[in-house]
Amino acid sequence: MGREANSEPKYDILALVTLDKNRILGGKQLTLLAKDEAEQKVMTADIAKALKADVVQMTSGDYLVIRV
Amino acid sequence: MDGVLSKEHIILIVTSIIVGTLARIITIKEDFRQYPSYPNGYLIHLVTGFVAAALGAVAIPALMTKNFVAVTFLTLAIQQFRDVRKSERESLKDLENTEYAYRGDAYIDGIAKTFESRNYFALIVALATGITIQLVDSKSSLVKIISGAIVGFLFLYILKRFSKGKTIGDVAEVNEAKIEVKNHELYVDGMYVSNLLGTENAAQLFQEEGRAVVISPKKDYLRVTLENFGQRQAALFEATRTLGVKRYHFTRRDFENGRVVIALVPIINDIEKLIEAVKKTPLLESTKKSESVMKTNMVGRE
Repeated sequence: MGREANSEPKYDILALVTLDKNRILGGKQLTLLAKDEAEQKVMTADIAKALKADVVQMTSGDYLVIRV
Repeated sequence: MDGVLSKEHIILIVTSIIVGTLARIITIKEDFRQYPSYPNGYLIHLVTGFVAAALGAVAIPALMTKNFVAVTFLTLAIQQFRDVRKSERESLKDLENTEYAYRGDAYIDGIAKTFESRNYFALIVALATGITIQLVDSKSSLVKIISGAIVGFLFLYILKRFSKGKTIGDVAEVNEAKIEVKNHELYVDGMYVSNLLGTENAAQLFQEEGRAVVISPKKDYLRVTLENFGQRQAALFEATRTLGVKRYHFTRRDFENGRVVIALVPIINDIEKLIEAVKKTPLLESTKKSESVMKTNMVGRE
């Protein structure tokens, strides 16, 4: 649900799983480097399951694990 | 007999209390869908309805015995009914985190106001019954009781008609919509809804078990009401509470033509029930807009 006047969205980025080490720039979230796409998918799914969170696949190919 | 109630007054009070309380019992069933069948919730509202009816019932005997000051207790009644609204609101807000989707502040406000107004029903019906019994010029108590009850129920009918609101089904078409997941993004009838389906499991789950409906307003000005966040939240709440939620629930609006999407992965996979639940969602008082008022020339013309 998009941003609305009476509901402040609470999005937490819990993890970023990337294949490009140049995109690991720090921050509050856990950032992991996967060696290939298969590993990236498995890592993302494992984190999302453990944290009961949702996954967004970015156009760049990175995965964000977020909690709304 | 000073200080003791006469037979006529006892008949008047008892009849008014019974008719007033019956008015509350009848109207509490109207709220069955809005309010779960908590036995204790039922009892609370029946008792406050009884108290409301009692306050309405004793007003006429108080006046007849020239006890004009006693009528000021009606202000106490209003305070009591406000407390009913307040406690209802607090109770529903406390439950917010336990529901599949939030009811939302607008819906809670509407439900709480309804509960308050239903107590006024009991009071007004009891008062009308009492006045009628007092005014009917008959020696037969039975005639007085029957006339009082008829007028009381007539008042209840009028009040129910007056306070009856519309539902989404009255102002909009609700139809099943086609779900597509493209590149881990959810589309409903071609409208983008969410990109939260990032894993294959999520995409597959929504593709196979997801259900969606599209709400299309019958007239353009109704968009203001239907696209209101509180109204959409209420529709989503009714949908999720009717069918349950396995995972994910979304609402999204289409700015181009005013369609509103409700999509979810339900526990009970029944599209007809989903459409019915959304159709029966009440139009919230706080979101309603009158077309005639919108046409009003607020600033005046030369």
